[in-house]
Amino acid sequence: MDATMAVKPTTAVKTKPKRNVRNRILKNRYIYLMILPGLIYFVLFKYIPMVGLAISFEDFQPYRGMFGGPWVGFEYFHQLFTDPAFWMILKNTLILFGLNLLIFFPIPIVLALMLNEIKVQFFKRSVQTIIYIPYFMSWVIVVSITYVLLTTDDGIINGILVELGHQKINFLLSTSWFRPIYVLQNIWQGAGWGTIIYLAAITSIDPGLYEAAKMDGASRLRQIWHITLPAIRSVIVILLILKIGQVLDLGYEHVYLMLNSMNRSVAEIIDTYVYTAGLQEGQWSYSTAIGFFKSLIGLILVMGANWLAKKVGEEGVY
Amino acid sequence: MNGKCKRFLMSSFTVAVGVGVLTACSSTSSSTPGGQSGKPINLTIMADLKSPGTPGDTVIKQIEQKTGYNLTIQWVPDGNYDEKFNAAMATQSLPQAVFVKNTDSYSKLRDPIANGQFWEIGPYLKDFPNLSKLDPTVIQNTEVNGKIYGLYQEVALSRQGIIYRQDWLNKLGLQPPKTIDDLYKMLDAFTNNDPDGDGKKDTVGLTDRNDLVYGSFQTVSSYFGTPDNWGLQNGKLVPMFMSPQYMDTMNFMKKLYTNGVINQDFPVTSKVDQQNMLVNGKAGVYIGSITDVKNLNTKLRQVNPNGQLWVANRIAGPDGKDHGIWSVPGYGTVVLFPKSSIKDVNQLKQVLGFFDDLMKPDIYDLLAFGIEGTHYTLDNGTAKPVSDQALLDREVAPLGTISVGGISTIQGALQPYRTDPADIEANKLVLDNNKDLINDPTAPLDSKTNDQKGAQLKKIITDATYQYMINKLDANGFQAAVSQWQQQGGDQIISEFNDEYQKLKTK
Amino acid sequence: MLRDRSVASLIFEIVNYTLLSIIALLTLLPFVHVIAASFTTNAELATKTFVLIPTRYTLSAYKYIFSTDEVTRSLLVSIGITAVGTFVSMLLSCLMAYGLSRKDLYGRGVILFLVIFTMLFQAGMIPTFLVVKDLGMIDSYWSLIIPGAISAFNLIILKNFFQSLPEGLEESAKIDGCSDFGILFKIVIPLSLPAIATISLFYAVNYWNTYFNAILYLNDASKWPVQVILRQIVVLASGLDFNNSALTDTVPPPDQTVKMAVIVVATVPVLLVYPFLQKYFTKGALLGSIKG
Repeated sequence: MDATMAVKPTTAVKTKPKRNVRNRILKNRYIYLMILPGLIYFVLFKYIPMVGLAISFEDFQPYRGMFGGPWVGFEYFHQLFTDPAFWMILKNTLILFGLNLLIFFPIPIVLALMLNEIKVQFFKRSVQTIIYIPYFMSWVIVVSITYVLLTTDDGIINGILVELGHQKINFLLSTSWFRPIYVLQNIWQGAGWGTIIYLAAITSIDPGLYEAAKMDGASRLRQIWHITLPAIRSVIVILLILKIGQVLDLGYEHVYLMLNSMNRSVAEIIDTYVYTAGLQEGQWSYSTAIGFFKSLIGLILVMGANWLAKKVGEEGVY
Repeated sequence: MNGKCKRFLMSSFTVAVGVGVLTACSSTSSSTPGGQSGKPINLTIMADLKSPGTPGDTVIKQIEQKTGYNLTIQWVPDGNYDEKFNAAMATQSLPQAVFVKNTDSYSKLRDPIANGQFWEIGPYLKDFPNLSKLDPTVIQNTEVNGKIYGLYQEVALSRQGIIYRQDWLNKLGLQPPKTIDDLYKMLDAFTNNDPDGDGKKDTVGLTDRNDLVYGSFQTVSSYFGTPDNWGLQNGKLVPMFMSPQYMDTMNFMKKLYTNGVINQDFPVTSKVDQQNMLVNGKAGVYIGSITDVKNLNTKLRQVNPNGQLWVANRIAGPDGKDHGIWSVPGYGTVVLFPKSSIKDVNQLKQVLGFFDDLMKPDIYDLLAFGIEGTHYTLDNGTAKPVSDQALLDREVAPLGTISVGGISTIQGALQPYRTDPADIEANKLVLDNNKDLINDPTAPLDSKTNDQKGAQLKKIITDATYQYMINKLDANGFQAAVSQWQQQGGDQIISEFNDEYQKLKTK
Repeated sequence: MLRDRSVASLIFEIVNYTLLSIIALLTLLPFVHVIAASFTTNAELATKTFVLIPTRYTLSAYKYIFSTDEVTRSLLVSIGITAVGTFVSMLLSCLMAYGLSRKDLYGRGVILFLVIFTMLFQAGMIPTFLVVKDLGMIDSYWSLIIPGAISAFNLIILKNFFQSLPEGLEESAKIDGCSDFGILFKIVIPLSLPAIATISLFYAVNYWNTYFNAILYLNDASKWPVQVILRQIVVLASGLDFNNSALTDTVPPPDQTVKMAVIVVATVPVLLVYPFLQKYFTKGALLGSIKG
């Protein structure tokens, strides 16, 4: 009797949060039902195939099957960190990533704010439709147009420079022009497309706020600063965190097409290196190991950014 | 997944063992090539699509009728061929016969081949009347560990040479180039003596592109006597870029660049832009594949009806001697037979029977020219294509990639009809090249390091070569790049090739 | 004071309109070049590298493209894949995003983290191929839809939009006897039309641009979507070969005009989608509907 008395309260204490959890789950059972198809999707097509990362720890060859090669532990990571090209590639990757984040990322926001101030609907819609066209030009086309514009053999830009009495600039053979060209191409191709999401966020702003601001005599720039920007701040933060996670995706194809014997010292990045090592040379395990390392950097950056976002009172992505 | 993968591995293992047993048992069974048993045999082939679209089944139907096989062709776009090939190989989903994309891709398959992923076909070739006619020296170049696994598709040994503006040459009163000095004089005159007669200095001699091999460089290097990829120095194999002639070639190209007689962006120029410069009259010389002259002449005349291109070769080096011309190992690709989809020797022989049929002259004609009356007409024993170019591009052009052998191994096949004298001359020169070849001594040799790292290492040299040619690197810098190549694995490649070479010599 | 402000406002307007016009022009010109090049002759394209107004018009490039039904058929495939795929993706994404937008959901943070994780650690090509193969989707159109049905990026954005709806909305709907599914389909989705339109557009464009999965999973070339053919022609005509082999000289590459024409044919249909979606991007749509 005493014993049961002694036991009971403890079990009660233990089960209380459990029941709480069960209640919370039961209450939302239909919500879980909604999430279920998505969860199955992520497990089936993302998590199960992720076992493929294991090949960075084995001597993998496609014909041996997924786990047919001998295990080599961290050998490929060791190879990576002692690869003479590694630090150069890492540096190039991070620089392009930084440029993307600092220069490219804010431009769609500015463009969306500018578009939002346009009152003539026809003009607004036309500009919107036009600036998102480049998104549909594949990199092959963007790069070939860039070459036509920039070549010293009859290129249009150099033609203009000569007309203006300048020297020709050898854009394509120089290492210093690669990064500006890369960022400009990104902006040209993606800035218009990037506005869509901000424009969607802006639609949720109550027009009454602007009316009130006008009454108070706030200038247009002030209205943008105090009404529009705060309203889309959370979208900006979310996108920023997600973009940081895409430190991986600098556009393998884009860089690969721009890469040549003249600019390799600044243009070779992790993505292009993985492609050459993996597909062109069949170093599957090594290229997977590089990819693994890149993912780790991405994970650290995202977790850091998310932590920071929460710290300043934003919601973060998880 | 783990379980699934294990199961998958187990099954492929049992298949491999089973196949081994079956091979042992059935080695005496008679061959049953297709078409004779009456019932059509189903055959699936994976092939490289190098044309804008797939060919449809007009010609395929005829081939099926003539061979008695029921064909399914899995066309894969050229740009992603290797990705598809590897994914299918890793998941044991390759069909019964697979074409390899090119010789580079083939060298990466040496390991899976040596590990028994594909059937060895050497012992059966003699049973097939046409396959047995394949050239033994070319076959030797495709061997892996001394065994034959693939049927090869023939390419001309060397198409390299010079294409130039004949009308410009005549206008400036020059003679066709015979020596490397003539070549330079022609390039210089095409740049500085106003060959197009518009009073403006708006032309350049040579148009080149971002390709050291199939662009100008390697061909010019042959004129200087540089070996083809690898050469012998004191009885030892060394890579071409360690030869003094390679340096001579780089200096020549550097002179072209410094004196402005080559397009200034050549290290980054694409093939399309390179050819455009020739077509639109900005450049007068193109060095590379001389059979391009037919296509280039047609395009040039659309822009300038008086334009005329001509071809030249056998350019003597600075020492006045003709050093020959570099060549490829005689095959463009091979077709392999995966063990995952062909279960026993009988099946293998059935599949081989189809490719034996493909080497019959009438079927080869179907692949090369299409159907008589629909796609070509006979003109003096040559196949004259019909004028509907779109029809030919669509229904005939893609099929070339599934052929095996070629004109030198298939007797009685039709010759193509040629009208453009420059085209006829170019094809004459290609045949003439056969008497004047520089061969790559490593073609039949195997180096594991080269298969694994060769391409990555080669970039060091390619980059340095271009940088040297445009004055961004001096001779010491180039030597440093070569040492870098040696340290990062090049020395190993050298010793592996030399070991193999000694073995082959003593054999 | 008032005049100052209107002058400042005027300057703002002028600068804004001018800048946007210049930007629009810069983005439009290369596309105009592509269209112009598709209607001109090869000879003109060879002499003038950047054509904006062709001096000689011809439809020969388009005739060449449509000389077989291959492009037409592939366009139909792409339209089908895009329509069905976008629907499937939106359905799955809306369900999951709404679920994850509920802050009282137990395990929400973990699930969200797991979703983000898939953006960083990507699945390998070969194991994904095995999953698709084991599900029997090789050579099926579903292989172009199911393996990429949910984009983690789109899911998070959608969740964020759902979360920005006024909090009281669900409570009051529940009191009115709405089920969770009812709330999602009758209240949340109709109130989030700008977001729904945006994410649908993202998915649609993704499906429209599919080519790699098609090459990987479809052995039957007659099932290819238009981007496979577009890419094939562009890669061949640009003379770039990703693996740098050049033994293919025997077959001349397709004409540059054909390349431009196929870009136009494969791009214009998807460009037409956006103007139709624009009506969902009107200001105050959300508040209007709540008040109404």
